[in-house]
Parts: sequence; C-alpha cells; structure tokens
Amino acid sequence: MIVRRWVDGVDERLDGSSFISRNLRKVFPDHWAFMLGEIALYSFLLLVLTGTFLSFFYLASDEPVTYTGPYQPLQGQTVSAAYDSVMRLSFEVRAGLVMRQIHHWAALVFMGAIIAHIIRVFFTGAFRKPREISWLIGIGLFLLGIGAGFTGYSLPDDALSGAGLRIAYSIILSIPFVGTWLAYLFFGGEFPGPDILNRLLVLHIFIIPLAIFTLLGAHLAVVWHQTHTQFRAPGRTEDTVTGTPVWPKFALKSIGLALTTFGVIALLGGLFQINPIWLYGPFVPYSTASPSQPDYYIGWLEGLLRLWPDWEFHVFGHTIGELLLPSLVVPGLVFTILALWPYLEARASGDHEWHHFAQHPREAPVRSAFGAVGMAFFVVLVLAGGNDVVAKFLGIEVDSFNTILRWTLFLGPVLSGSVTYWICRDLRDRPRHPMAAPPRVTFRRNAAGGFEEIESETPVAGRPSEERDRT
Amino acid sequence: MSAVATSETALRRRILRYGLVLAVAGQILWSFRPAPGRALTAQEAAGQALYEASCSTCHGLQAEGTGSGPSLHGVGPAAVDFMLSTGRMPLANPAAQPIRQPPRFDPQEIAAIVAYLTAIAPGGPAIPEVDPQDGDLPRGAELFLNNCSACHGAGAIGDSIGGGRIAPSLYASSSTQIGEAMRVGPGLMPKFAPQDLSDQDLNSIARYVLWLRDHGDRGGLQLGRVGAVAEGFVAIVVGLGLLLVVIRLTGSKT
Amino acid sequence: MRRASLVVAIAFGAATLAALGLFVVYIAGGQPQVEGALLFVALAGIGAGLMVWATRLMTGIGQITQSRRHAQPPEEKEAAAEAMAGGVEEMSRRRLLFRLLLGAAGALGLAAIFPIRSLGRAPGASLFRTEWRPGLRLVDVDGNLVTRDTLEVDSFTTVFPEDAVGSGDSQAVLIRVQSGSLQLPADRLAGAPDGYVAYSKICTHAGCAVGLYLARVHQLRCPCHQSTFDVLNGAQPVYGPAARALPQLPIEIDADGTMRALGDFTAPVGPSFWDLPP
Repeated sequence: MIVRRWVDGVDERLDGSSFISRNLRKVFPDHWAFMLGEIALYSFLLLVLTGTFLSFFYLASDEPVTYTGPYQPLQGQTVSAAYDSVMRLSFEVRAGLVMRQIHHWAALVFMGAIIAHIIRVFFTGAFRKPREISWLIGIGLFLLGIGAGFTGYSLPDDALSGAGLRIAYSIILSIPFVGTWLAYLFFGGEFPGPDILNRLLVLHIFIIPLAIFTLLGAHLAVVWHQTHTQFRAPGRTEDTVTGTPVWPKFALKSIGLALTTFGVIALLGGLFQINPIWLYGPFVPYSTASPSQPDYYIGWLEGLLRLWPDWEFHVFGHTIGELLLPSLVVPGLVFTILALWPYLEARASGDHEWHHFAQHPREAPVRSAFGAVGMAFFVVLVLAGGNDVVAKFLGIEVDSFNTILRWTLFLGPVLSGSVTYWICRDLRDRPRHPMAAPPRVTFRRNAAGGFEEIESETPVAGRPSEERDRT
Repeated sequence: MSAVATSETALRRRILRYGLVLAVAGQILWSFRPAPGRALTAQEAAGQALYEASCSTCHGLQAEGTGSGPSLHGVGPAAVDFMLSTGRMPLANPAAQPIRQPPRFDPQEIAAIVAYLTAIAPGGPAIPEVDPQDGDLPRGAELFLNNCSACHGAGAIGDSIGGGRIAPSLYASSSTQIGEAMRVGPGLMPKFAPQDLSDQDLNSIARYVLWLRDHGDRGGLQLGRVGAVAEGFVAIVVGLGLLLVVIRLTGSKT
Repeated sequence: MRRASLVVAIAFGAATLAALGLFVVYIAGGQPQVEGALLFVALAGIGAGLMVWATRLMTGIGQITQSRRHAQPPEEKEAAAEAMAGGVEEMSRRRLLFRLLLGAAGALGLAAIFPIRSLGRAPGASLFRTEWRPGLRLVDVDGNLVTRDTLEVDSFTTVFPEDAVGSGDSQAVLIRVQSGSLQLPADRLAGAPDGYVAYSKICTHAGCAVGLYLARVHQLRCPCHQSTFDVLNGAQPVYGPAARALPQLPIEIDADGTMRALGDFTAPVGPSFWDLPP
C-alpha cells in the first residue's frame, strides 16, 4: 500500500514509473568473479564514511606543540599539531583508534580489490569493444586510489610517511627542465615546505574524492547502460543477458556484500594494528628509521627504486637524476600500455567486433600470458620494496637477496608468461577442461590376473564456446 | 784437609752453582708470565682456566689475537661481558656472524673470565651501570629514534643492514647489555662515547627499549612491528581472502 | 531451505546483540579490539544474513533473460551526427568571430593557470646553499657544542650549524675514524682534521637521512633504498642506487677543541636535479 502510493507520487511528479520498472527489473549476471568490483566500491564507501569521522578531528598544521596525552614515551615532546591531533584521536577519542585503523585497512582492501578486479576484467577480455571506456575510467580510478592512499597516510606527519614525502619531493625534483619549479610549487618551497599538510588534506578529502566520485559514477553508469558481460553457457547469446533482477534479489545480495565488506574490514581494524605512528615518532628531517616501506600498492614503485641501478645522466651541462627513470618513466610507460591495452589488443588481433561474452583465460592464451607477465613483475617488485624485511625473515643477506630479485625480475615473468601460454593453449585445444571432465577408462580384471580395458570414454568434442579468438 | 772433605765442599759448591743458575733461570722465566705481574686471585685463576680452554684457540694465550680472532687488548670488560653474556662468544665458526644464543657460561664464570682478561689485557670501557628506572622515558624514546632506529628499527625489532649482517632485535637484551653494546660497538655497530651519550642517556634508552618490550600496543596484533610489509600481507591474505570466500559462496559459478 | 532460514535468523540475532554490545563498550570507555570484533559481528551478521536470504531463500525468483542494447539504427546516428555538426558549423561559418573566440578562450585559459604560480616560490639558488657559513660551530641535535672529545674512533653523531639546529638541509653526520686512514685528495683532507670528517646526511638518491653507520667497514648506509657510501673515500657510493657522493662539510678544530665549519658543503646537498652541474 505504502509502496503503491509512493510510486504514484513519484510518477505524478517525475514521470518515473517506466524508469522505475525498467531499472528494478534490470538483470545482472551472478558470477562470483563479477563481485570483485563491488568489494572495491563498498571499501570506498567505507573509506568515505570513516574518513568523514576522522576529518572532524584532524588538524593540518605543522605548528609545533607539546604532547601532553597519555602515551608516555612522547610526553613533553615537541610534535606538530597534525601529529598531535592524530595521537589524540588514537588515544583519547572514544572509538577514535578503531575508526582510524578501519579507515587505513579499508584503503588497503580497496586497492587490493581494484587490483583483483582489474585482473579479472583483463583475463576475461571484458575490456573489449564496447567497454574500452570503462577500462580507461577504471585505470584512472586505480591511479586516483594510489594518490588518495599516499596523501592519506602522509597526513599524520609521522617519521615513516615523512620519509615517503621526502622521496616524492625528490622524484618531482628529478624531472628535467621544470622539476625544481614543480617541486617548489607543490610543496610551497624547499622541503618540507610550510603548507604541505594542508595541501595534502585538500587533495585527500576534496579533490581526489571528487574525482573518484565522478569517475565512479561514470563507470557504474556505463556498466549499467551497456549491461554486464557474462560467460558462455547453453542458452546464452551475444544479444541477451541472463541474470538476477536488481530488485529484490540482486540489490539485497549486494547490500549484504556491502555490509559483509564493512564487517571484515572492521574486524581487521579492531584486531590488527596498522600504522602505529606513536612507535615511529613525529617526522624530523634529520632522522629516518628502518624498515622504511610505503603501503603495498606503492610497494612496487619502492621495489623499482631499490633495484634500479645507479644510472645518472648528464645532457648539455644538466643532470638527469637516478630517480627519473624508475619512478616516472617506467611507471608512466606501464600505465600507458595498461590504459591503451584494449586498443593495442584490437589492433594486434584485428578483432573490432562487439563482444558481450566474457572469455575464460584459456580462450586467449597470448593475452593471458601477458597478464601473467604483468602479475609476476608486480609481485617481484612488491617483494623488492620490502627487501630488507623479507631478507631478514628468510634469513638471507639483503645484498644477495637484491641480486636474486634482479634475476627473478627478468626470469620470473618469462617463466610465468610461457607456462601460462602453454597451459592456456593446451586447455583451449582440448574438448573439455580436464578437471571438469577427466577422460575415463573402465578396466576389468581377467581370469589370468591381468587387466583389460572394456571401454574408454573421452568427452565429446564440441565446446560450450563456439567462438575462438585468435589471440 | 782430607780428600773426603774436599769432595764434599766441591759437591756443595756445585750444588750452589747449579742452584743459582736454576734460580736465575726461574726468575727470568717467571718474568715472562702474563701481567699483572702479581699473583692471580682465585677468580682470575678460574677465569684463566676457562679462557685457555674456550677462547685462546682464536684469541691467543695472551689475548694477543691469532689469524682466527682479534686481539682482546683494550676491548674492555664491557665487550667481554657483552659477548659472553649474550652467548655470541665462544664462536664455533670464526667466519660466521656472532648471534645471540644461550650463553655457554654462567654469570660467575663470565665474571671470572672478565676479571682474568682485565688483569692481563687492561683498558677499554668498563661494564656500565645501567639503571633503567633512573632513565627518562620520553628522552629515551627521542634518543632511540634519533640514534638507534636507523639500524634497529623504530620498534627495536631489528633489520637487515647489509654487509652480511643484521642489526638484531633488542627485545632479548638486558639493560646492561644495551649499555655495553652502545659503549663497545660490537660487530658493525658504531660506538657511542660518554661525551656523546652520557650514562644518564644510556639509562633512558635502556628504559625505553624495555618499555617497548614490555608494552603491547593498543591497536591489536602488532604483526611483528614491521610495518607496511606485514600490513599489506594481512590485507590481501586475511581481508581479501575472507571476502573472496564470501563471494565464492554467494556467487554462481557459470 | 529451513537450515538457510535458521542461519539467517541466527545471523540477524547475533548482529543485534553485537550492536547492543557496541553501546555498552562505548559507554564503558571503548576498547579497539572489542569494538572491532563487535562491529564485525554486527555488520557482517546483517550482511551475511541478507546474502543467504537473497541467494538461498529467494528461490522463487529465477534467472531472467533480457535483450541487450544494440547500436542505434542508421537514421538515428545520422540525425545525431547532423545535430552535432550542425551546431559547430553554424558557429564556424562566421570565421573571424570563431577565430577571435578561440583566441580569447585560449588567452583566458592561460591566464587562469597563472594563480598556480602563487602556490610556491621560485627555486632560485636555494638548492645550492644550506645554512652553513665559515666559522659556524658544530652543535648536536640538543644544541650542545661538539668538540674534539665528543666522539671516539668509530663513533658518529648528527650535527647542525649553531644557529640552525634541526635544519633539514644543513644536517650533517660527523664521523671519527682512525687518524690518517682517510683517503681524500689533499684539498678535501684539509677539511677533515685528525680523522674527523663530516658529510651531508641527506642521501643523494632520494633524500632520506643516512643514519646507518657500519663502523667496522666505515660505510654510511641509507635505510630507504640501501645506498651505501664509503666514509674513508669521500662518501663515494659503493652499493645501491645512489650515483653521487655525499657532499663533504669541511671543518676545522680550534685549539680548545671547538669544531667549526670552514664553509658550506663541497657540492649541493640532496638528490640530483636538472640544474645540478655534472
């Protein structure tokens, strides 16, 4: 009754009936792998909710104050007002620490879910026409996420994030021609600069979230409008989509996933300590502690910095420092190739058709091989970013570990790429997946004691997928 | 004089002569024994026995060093006590990095060896008297972060420092061992002289390290106080892992 | 089906209890681990309950097949292209006005960028200078004068100019090595008397404070990316990604043991930048 009256009201004012019925009946495919993007979305939602709470307590100021809170080893010490505000939040505000930790864990899960989602979209070929624009927006969201994470963990002005800011400043400095100007513009002067915390705050709570909201909105709108991809199955065609209607089933499941995501991240936030700024102490420019790592989603950049050789170039009486290649040029290339991948693959395969089916990775062995190469690079670089910690954990000497990592950086992707390619090609050329339908042979024991075959059954040729990509 | 009396006198003279030679030779040989040039006390003698049994192969009978081990002259009681009480010495393989182990000797034996080496190879920093209760905790935290955290980690958990070495975790150290290490500079560690870090500073640093050891953190499981490496691992394995299980259970497989 | 609804009921029930528990914990002063655990049960309880309800209890709602959108018919595409092009053409017919518009828009766009310049100042020569001047005495981070007696052999400490304690760009590390063991050229050796040598503490790779001193092998090491510098040899990099040596701070020791700087560092401190001469 109430619902009927509400719908009437909406229709009279907004002509909304057909909009409502069309969109509530819209179907979404149910495959579990399609829920990874939702995990990213809901992690972001949690970031906004907890972040709003945190922003009421944070003070973006490097004004020196004396710490007078309950954490004994810092009492009487001079710290920045920003650091003091985060200490107060962690030790004196009820639910402050759990909110702060939930916020930081949510950021880690957010980036991990984005990476998992990108991997899923890549290996299923869901970026192919007409979905190139969703892919581009997605890579943009990934970059914005990295920016949000970096600006966010630099806000407490602790020793660890301060080292990261110093490295960022040095990276900007290394840009030819305009590097010193850009660094002075962004930081307001020589490092650390008078205003950097405030600028990071503006980026972190306003500019970047605004950009993420906009791109996210576009991303979801495009997916909604284009309808989601789905895997092949009997009865499905390119022109139709089969799934669960949005209301009530899909929406409820999705809301349930949102709350479950919140719950899991809240569990991390309460049980596992993250970023204990009281242990690191306030940032001072003349002291850097070890181990010194950024969050893992920037860890691959850190690994590049640690493994890169000490190449410095001199051109026309000027210097191009060692940082430029590993921190800007190589990542720039990687992200450019990643962003343009749909177009590169379409060019290389000659395939400019629309595709609404998601592929299994085995249907595109070359693409899957490249994906495996990328993943292997990423994993080795993240390990390299934590080389001193990992080396100590493994009981190896860190300088030897660096040598091992350099070799693995080249051999690992080659190995993973080739193995992936051969496995995919082998699976693709079989009639059915050997785990789904293993070949059967029936034996019987004969009177003499030996075995003889009665019948053998190999699965019938004729795969569910009729279309085979040449990649 | 009778013939018998002459040979008796000659015999007595011969005995006296040989005895004199022996006495002089004995004196000369006695002067070559190690310092202190006085008799060893009972403790020092016990230390000598232990030293000659376990240490002299590499460090030499006079603590002068050999090809396998450095000279101990001038290292100081602090160094000897540190190495022995942390079990780093005796070291079975001279090429390996000395690491903390259960000490081979009990405290009395260690004190004996320290006393012996002090007697025969004097000099070097004395065992510091470190009283953590007398230290200032915030001052200790500040000193630790500025002087120690670059090698030993902000949480005193240790880290790889290159050169084939690891700056160890400090959680197993006593306050005396912390003070000794700072004065002696064992392994690759630099020394911290009294004019740079006073005895009171040592008290404060020891107080902070023990405080770190004895106090957990409010945030929950500390993940080894290692930082982002462990946090990233937990986020992926626990966080994303749990969520992956959830979506596998609730999503379809086609 | 019955088991599923039992699961849902238990999940919602547990969530309710956990949410009530959160009230209690909050009023009692809060405790992060308990808050996290209760939040987990409260949030994931409702979440799991909803998901089980949707996937296992709403069995009446089956899969539905809908048609996907197709490309629009050619007439529509034609109409859209014409509508767009028509508007642009209407404007570009008046060529002069159109060009003037483009010029004005371009100029305004450039002008709008200018306020960005207010964000910071020109680098000028500030990257080539620090606060060190000839005659300034060395002090440690507490402001105490550093003298000949402060360090022993194999010791090191962080020093600043006496009027700029804690200064980020002036930070230097003073090391004492065995007198005569430094292998510096003669002019550099003059600024490193009696085995005392000072270098900039800012790593020339990415700017972290180079605070690890491996005394026995006389190497300074940076904790960030493991750049290692040879102290006896002018802090030349011997391992890791740094390509430039740490600049030296030339010092002298007065008759009474006070240590003073002889001038600024021998090279610009910190990581490389475009205008750094080779």
